[in-house]
Amino acid sequence: MHALHNRRPGLAARIDPPKPHPPAGVGLLALLALALVLSSPVAGAGDVRSADMLAHTCAGCHGTDGASAGAAMPTIAGMNKSYLLTVLTDYKTGLRQSTIMGRIMRGYTDQEIAAMAGWFAARPWVSTERPVDGQVAHRGEQIHLSRCETCHADGGRGQDATSPRLAGQWAPYIRHVLKACRDTGLRCKTRQGAERVMALDDAEIDALAHYYESQK
Amino acid sequence: MSTSDRATTKPRNTTISSASARSKAADTSRRRFLGTGAAVLTTATLGAGGWLGAASRAAAQAAPSAPKARVVVVGGGYGGAIAAKYLKLADPDIRVTLIERSPYYVSCPLSNEVISGERDIDSLTFDYRGLTRRGVAVMQDEIVAVDPEAHYVRGAGGARYNYDKLILAPGVSFDYDPIDGMSEAVAESTIPHAWKAGAQTLLLRRQLQAMPDGGVVAIVAPPNPFRCPPGPYERAAQMALYFKHHKPKAKILILDAKDAFSKQALFQAGWQEHYGDMIEWVPGAAGGIIEAVDPKTRTLTGLVEDFQADVVNLIPHQRAAKLAVDAGLTDAAGWCPVDQQTFASEQAPDIHVIGDAAIAGAMPKSGYAANSQGKVCAAAVAAAINGEPPPAPSYVNTCYSILAHDHGISVAGVYELKDGNIVSVPGAGGLSPVDADARTRAMEVEYAIGWFRNITADMFT
Ligand SMILES: Cc1cc2nc3c(=O)[nH]c(=O)nc-3n(C[C@H](O)[C@H](O)[C@H](O)COP(=O)(O)OP(=O)(O)OC[C@H]3O[C@@H](n4cnc5c(N)ncnc54)[C@H](O)[C@@H]3O)c2cc1C
Repeated sequence: MHALHNRRPGLAARIDPPKPHPPAGVGLLALLALALVLSSPVAGAGDVRSADMLAHTCAGCHGTDGASAGAAMPTIAGMNKSYLLTVLTDYKTGLRQSTIMGRIMRGYTDQEIAAMAGWFAARPWVSTERPVDGQVAHRGEQIHLSRCETCHADGGRGQDATSPRLAGQWAPYIRHVLKACRDTGLRCKTRQGAERVMALDDAEIDALAHYYESQK
Repeated sequence: MSTSDRATTKPRNTTISSASARSKAADTSRRRFLGTGAAVLTTATLGAGGWLGAASRAAAQAAPSAPKARVVVVGGGYGGAIAAKYLKLADPDIRVTLIERSPYYVSCPLSNEVISGERDIDSLTFDYRGLTRRGVAVMQDEIVAVDPEAHYVRGAGGARYNYDKLILAPGVSFDYDPIDGMSEAVAESTIPHAWKAGAQTLLLRRQLQAMPDGGVVAIVAPPNPFRCPPGPYERAAQMALYFKHHKPKAKILILDAKDAFSKQALFQAGWQEHYGDMIEWVPGAAGGIIEAVDPKTRTLTGLVEDFQADVVNLIPHQRAAKLAVDAGLTDAAGWCPVDQQTFASEQAPDIHVIGDAAIAGAMPKSGYAANSQGKVCAAAVAAAINGEPPPAPSYVNTCYSILAHDHGISVAGVYELKDGNIVSVPGAGGLSPVDADARTRAMEVEYAIGWFRNITADMFT
C-alpha cells in the first residue's frame, strides 16, 4: 500500500472499508483492487474523494468547470491530461515556480492530482470573448509562425503532453508565463521553447499573447 | 509613533473583567417554533414575496409539479449562491429555491478598495439572473422564521416556503452590546463598520475624503472569531494608500481586541515598506481593547487609555446572522455547530448551515471558505436526496490582501475531514513568503483581482 499512498498519512484513513490482510501471493491483486477504488469516479465511494469533489474546489480561482473568467488565471478546462498532470505535480514538488499553486497542490495525493487532471481534461475548452486588435494580432501571428508553430500547432489550438493549448487563452496569463520564462528562466517547460521565448522583447510578447487569445 | 505622542491619551484605570461581564450571552432570544397562522400560500413556487424577473417565474413554473425534492437556500452570498448552483448541477431534478432579501449582492471582498477610492462599488455588485438561467428559482424575500418541525420557512410578508432540506447561508450579525454607545443606528449614521458592503462602505469613504490632512482614523478590530480575519489590516493599508497621495500627514490607529492577527508579519512589513509610520497597531494587551465610544466627540474609551479620532471605523463583535440565532441553531458563543462533512445542523434535522454563520473547524470565515463549504454541502444534500451516503469532502481557502498597487499577499489552506473535524492538510497551505520578490508581490495583486472575477463568476453565472 505504501507505493500507492504517497507519503501523506491522511489517505490511509480515507480508504474504506478497511481491507483484510491479503494471503501471501495475492498482494498484487489487492493492489490492483485498491487502484480501482482509488480511481473510482463515483461520488460517495467510501472515503475516497471523488474527482468532482476535488475539482470543484479549484473553481474559486479558475472558474466553474475550469473555464476562467480571467485575467491572470488560465482556463484549464479541456487541457491535455498529461500536460495538466505534469504541471500540477511540478507545482507540488516545487519544480515549477508559483506564488500559490505549490502551497495548494501539496494538499493532495498523487492519485488525487491525477483525478483532477483527468476531470479538467474532460471539460470543454471555452475561449475568451474579448475584442481583438487585428494589427496586434497580426504581428503576433508573424512571430508565432516563425518561432512557435512547430510545437504549438494550428495557431496554438494543438496540444500534447508538453505543449498546452494557447488559442483562446487569457492573454494576461500567457504574457505572465512568457515573461517569467524569459526573465527568470522559471516556468519554461522545454529547452527549445525557452530559447525562443528568451529572444522576445516586451512588445513581441504582448503581440504573441494577444494573437493567441484571438485564436478561438 | 510611541504611545505618548498619540493625538489623544488619557490614562485610565478600568478592570478587564467589566468588559467580559458586559458581553451578553448570545442565545437569550431563541424562538424555536413558530405558529403557522401567518402562512398565506403553501408552496415555494407560489409563495413569492417578490419575483426577480419573468425568467425566474418561467424557471419555477417549468419545474415539474412533483419535483424529486424541494431544497430552499436562504442567503444569496458567497455560500448560498454556490450551494444553490451546485445543487442544480448535481441533480437538475431537485427543485432549488434561493431566497435573498436584497435584489442584488454587494461583495465584501475588494470593498476595502472602494474605501480607498481604487474602485467603484458597482464593480462589486451582482444580480441573480445567472442563477435563474441555471434553473434556480430566485425569490426576493426576507426570511423571518424557520419551522424545523413542519419544514418551512416564512417570509416577511407571510409567504411560506416548504422544504425537504433547508440550507442557511445568512452570514453574520453584529453584536453592539460589548461596546457602550454603539448601536445599529450609530453604525448607519456616524461610526460605520462597513463590515457588510453597501451604504456604510460609501459612508466611510466619504468620511475619509472629508477628513483634514493630519487627521486620525481609528479602526477598532474585533475579537476572534469574525468575518475575514485579514480584513481590518488590509483596510488599514488601503486607507493608507489613499492618504499617501491625498493626506500624507494622516494617521491610522488600529485598536485591536486581539494580541495577534492574520498574516501579521506580512502586513507589518508591507505597512512599513509603503507607508512608514502612518499605520500604528495597538494590541489588546497594550490598551487596544475598546469598551465605549462617544459618537458625538468620536472618543473611544479603552481599558488603559482613551483615544480621540476624526474618523472611527468600529468593527463590532460578531455572531451568526439573526435568522440562525432566532431559529435556535447557534451555540452559547453565537455560531452554528454543524456536522463537518455535511454541514447538517446539530440542533435541527434537515437544516444545513454554511459560510460565516457555521463553525467549520480550521477554516476561517471567508468568502472562499463559504464557496467551498457550499459545494461540500450541496453534494451531501444531493446524495441524501438520492439515498446515497455523503461523499468524502474536500475544502479549500485562499484569501488575498492588497496592500499597495503592486503588493499583494495571500494565505491558503487545504483541508480534509479527520475524525469528524475539518483540519488543515499537513505540509500544505500557508502564507506568501516574507522575502518574496517584487514580481511575486505584483503577481499576487493580479491574482487577487483574478480570484474575485472567478469566484463571483462561479456564484452568479
Ligand atoms: C472588508 C471585507 C473584505 C473581505 N475580503 C475577503 C476576501 O478577500 N476573500 C474572502 O474569501 N473573503 C473576504 N471577506 C469575507 C466574506 O465577505 C465572507 O466570509 C462571505 O461573504 C461569507 O459568505 P456567507 O454566504 O456566509 O455570507 P454573505 O456573503 O454575507 O451572504 C449572506 C446573504 O444572506 C442574506 N440574508 C441574511 N439573512 C437573510 C434572511 N433572513 N432572509 C433573506 N436573506 C438573508 C444577506 O442579504 C446576504 O446576501 C471579506 C469581508 C469583509 C467585510
